[in-house]
Amino acid sequence: MRIGLLTEGGYPYVSGDARLWCDRLVRGLGQHEFDVYALSRSERQENEGWIALPPQVGRVWTAPLWTAEDDGTIYGRRARRRFAECYGELAAALCAGNAGDPSGASGESPAAEADRFGSALYGLAELARDERGLVGALRSEAAVRALERACRAPGALGAAREARVPDLLAVAAHLERALRPLSLDWYEDDGLGSVDLCHATTGGSAALPGLLAHHFHGVPLLLTEYGVRLRTHYLAGTDASPAVRSLLAAFHGRLAAESYDRAAIVTPGNAHARRWQERCGADRAKLRTVYPGMDASRFAEVGESPQSADPDTLVWVGRVEPAKDLVSLLHAFAEIRKEAPKTLLRIVGAPDGPDGEAYLGHCRALAAQLFPDEAEGLHAVGDNPVSFEEIGGPELPSLADAYAAGAVTVLASVVEGFPISLVEAMFCGRATVSTDVGAVVEVIGGTGLVVPPRNPRALAEACLALLRDPARRERLGAAARARALELFTVEQNTTAFHGIYLEIVSHTPVSRVVLDDAGEPLPFAVPAEAHVPGRWTHPAARVVARGGPGWAKGAPVRATPPRTTPPMPATEGAR
Amino acid sequence: MSDLGALDRPGTPDSPGSWDERSQGWLAGETSGSHTAGGETAPGTRGGDDAPAHTYAHAETPAHTRAVAEAPQRERADAEPLAPVGADAKSLTRARADAETPAHTRADTDLPAARRQPAAPRRAAADPVKALMHRHRELCERAVDPLEIAAGLEAHGVTDRTAARFRHRDVFSLAEEMYARVPRDTGAPARPAALDVARARADWALLTLLPGALCAATVAALHLTHGQARALAAAVGVLAVALALRAALTRGPLAAADRRPPGSLAHAPGSRACTYWLLAYALLGDGLLDAALAGGPDGPPTGTADGPWPLATAPVLALTLACAPAAWSAHLFAVRARRRLTASRALEEYSASVRPLLIGMFALFLCALTALLAVCGAALGEPADYAQTVTLGALLLLARLLTTHGFTHAPALVLTATVMTEATATATVFAGRLPGCGFLATPVETLVDHWGPGSVPALACGAAALALLIHATRTLTRASAHAPEDRPC
Repeated sequence: MRIGLLTEGGYPYVSGDARLWCDRLVRGLGQHEFDVYALSRSERQENEGWIALPPQVGRVWTAPLWTAEDDGTIYGRRARRRFAECYGELAAALCAGNAGDPSGASGESPAAEADRFGSALYGLAELARDERGLVGALRSEAAVRALERACRAPGALGAAREARVPDLLAVAAHLERALRPLSLDWYEDDGLGSVDLCHATTGGSAALPGLLAHHFHGVPLLLTEYGVRLRTHYLAGTDASPAVRSLLAAFHGRLAAESYDRAAIVTPGNAHARRWQERCGADRAKLRTVYPGMDASRFAEVGESPQSADPDTLVWVGRVEPAKDLVSLLHAFAEIRKEAPKTLLRIVGAPDGPDGEAYLGHCRALAAQLFPDEAEGLHAVGDNPVSFEEIGGPELPSLADAYAAGAVTVLASVVEGFPISLVEAMFCGRATVSTDVGAVVEVIGGTGLVVPPRNPRALAEACLALLRDPARRERLGAAARARALELFTVEQNTTAFHGIYLEIVSHTPVSRVVLDDAGEPLPFAVPAEAHVPGRWTHPAARVVARGGPGWAKGAPVRATPPRTTPPMPATEGAR
Repeated sequence: MSDLGALDRPGTPDSPGSWDERSQGWLAGETSGSHTAGGETAPGTRGGDDAPAHTYAHAETPAHTRAVAEAPQRERADAEPLAPVGADAKSLTRARADAETPAHTRADTDLPAARRQPAAPRRAAADPVKALMHRHRELCERAVDPLEIAAGLEAHGVTDRTAARFRHRDVFSLAEEMYARVPRDTGAPARPAALDVARARADWALLTLLPGALCAATVAALHLTHGQARALAAAVGVLAVALALRAALTRGPLAAADRRPPGSLAHAPGSRACTYWLLAYALLGDGLLDAALAGGPDGPPTGTADGPWPLATAPVLALTLACAPAAWSAHLFAVRARRRLTASRALEEYSASVRPLLIGMFALFLCALTALLAVCGAALGEPADYAQTVTLGALLLLARLLTTHGFTHAPALVLTATVMTEATATATVFAGRLPGCGFLATPVETLVDHWGPGSVPALACGAAALALLIHATRTLTRASAHAPEDRPC
């Protein structure tokens, strides 16, 4: 089947995010045909070119997000009115309340608000398709006026009511940037209309073409988010005024809710992303956590020989930056040295940016202060029990060697997303001690020790416990390796997506007109029961025959929220 | 419990002393904290079954150190991130019973229990969330919705386990409480920061003087040379002025809008050609029309004002010199308009305040052009053709201003129409010489007889300038025409 892979600033660009994952996915699923629809994030990215593409990638469509050609389309009167209506609706939906806040200022129900946003979005998309371009209109005074009207309307958000003219202009400019995918020419029958499934690799802008393909052609959408786009938007925090930030937050929140709502299946990368998605209105029934896959082969040798480790060495691997809290690790190590004086600590990693450089210097100073160099005898040169190293040196030629060097791998971060170094340690079959941050607990799942963050004493105790108990170390290491091989391999990731593709396509096939040899539409080529329009499992759109039994009129009782259950002919009989 | 929030303090410890003290105090506070927490927690506030965020902790983490392993006992162990040995023997045994994998940590059994005893009584704060809010004051105050606080808290390392200590089932509900409790001042909002305004810079200020200077040099050369050398001087001069004009218009306030993305069309095609055509007509047109009506022209222009095809150098010199006042008035307009943008609250109000600004700027330029024209006319000893020159200057300025602000369509249209009008007027005079076509020349002849040859360009440019002025008062007073450059936000 043909899959439209939607990316934003990622695959197939050389400097793209998550290109490794996409590349493995595309190579791993050679039985499918991929069309890549890539949005580039900067001119530099475009100039750097693409990575080598495997033969299963059919066509690559690219479009810039960083610039928009004002094609000089002059709208007629009717198009202008249509634009003003749709944009006004969009603005009203943004000003009416907050997507992330169900008990917000809006008087209407959240579902009605979401519907309003969706219909305005699709209205704009249809306009862009009919008029071949939306950029000029989105920058026009009509857009700013519609925003102003929505902000001054009764019942608008408090922050939006404060909006001044520069704020309105900033919001309009941002919306223009965010809605650039609407003006693309991807939505024709030979573009996204010809794929069987859209796979959006991130939320936000990349999901937008998927939403439109779903709207125009009924192509099902699979949305994968390894980092929740909405959260990234919040963390990017600019110094814009509250009015701008609240309107933009509302836009991104509503866009996220709309994409979760329309997507056939949403795959978060970890439980943390999953929580955010649930929070933003994703239906639990369509969430499937698919862990990112990593290449296990380079750790195979180390992982299968647990005896190679130095029993008295702790290893920390990662990029050196303040969030990793090496200071706390050093203090913990001081405690460990009191109990077990022979222990060594190897800190392996390069600093990350100027902050990281400064932090590394600070840590070196602290290590020198805490642990004076000590020598074996009177005539030997002293050595510090803490060593700072980088991968690629003579002692540690590869990453696997770094993990192999120690019996216990430590992670002391205070902030962590998906802890890659922890997964690598698990692949290497090393016992681990980590802090309870981010997705650590979810990843380690009982095959290593977890302590609270910023607690050197707890960290020290956990490390000591492992250092003193080789048998337990071995047990934990083996369990960790087994767990990692089961959950975090590339094969696992690819297989999961393969299954999800098949599941989606079996549940929501795209209905197409089948042509015969002469190019005429073939009547009855697709049986009527192959496609049932609408969602008739939706409570609002239930099909009950007039005079039907009374028990059929109530809302169906189910364990999961019933909104987005895929339409299945079987339910017909159940009624 | 105020010390509990220390877990998510954003800074990192920088000396062993303070770090030890803090963690010591944190450890120390646990006994009292555990009791109050156990006593106060109402049953059902955090039902284990409906807390999805905890489920994986329940299901998958039996092998923690005791610090966080007691997920099943969370109801009572919320406030004990690190329970002291012996303080809660029951929970310890329960935790052991719950653990299922062999990987089961009890590191503390190896350590002397005495070390873990509290060193000082804890300071018990009644309201831990308040302390947390104080710590994240800035985050709370600038947040526009609870999710923003949640994202910020998570970035500072707050997890659901931390949130549980504040008696919330997850970070989101903690953030909601914080968002709801932030005092929102209803007073006047802070005055918005002024938008960055383009400053006058030496490069474009000097560049705008260049066309005028080159044109003056060319005129001087025409006056001083004869014959072959004059033709050469004229050719070089025209080329130099054209290049200088082009350079002057690529930078500064007269440059095509730089907020337009690269690659898009900066000019409507042809508008530059039209400008050069209009300037050429100002130089040659009146003389040609005059000569044509008298039956000529009898030869090519000689570069003087008294030949068979006289040149009008004063208007062109004045117009090229007017580049500088044009740039300055455009700069003034842009700066003032940007300032008004910051100050105004409604779009209508903004338009109303910019309109007089535009008219004032326009009048200022016309005054400067008239003065320059008078000076040039006096210096060259030529009649200063005020009507056609001032209208042409007005037309060119308005066309350029509109182009600068991104409205390329109307100027191109109007300039083309003007060029066509002037060309047609000249052509009809020549067409009138054909047999039987004398009537074609009548309108222009009548016009010239009454008001002189300058009336044709004056009427054409005047009508065009008026049309552009009306268009500009509608479009250039819009806020979207003065939108600041793209900034990611």
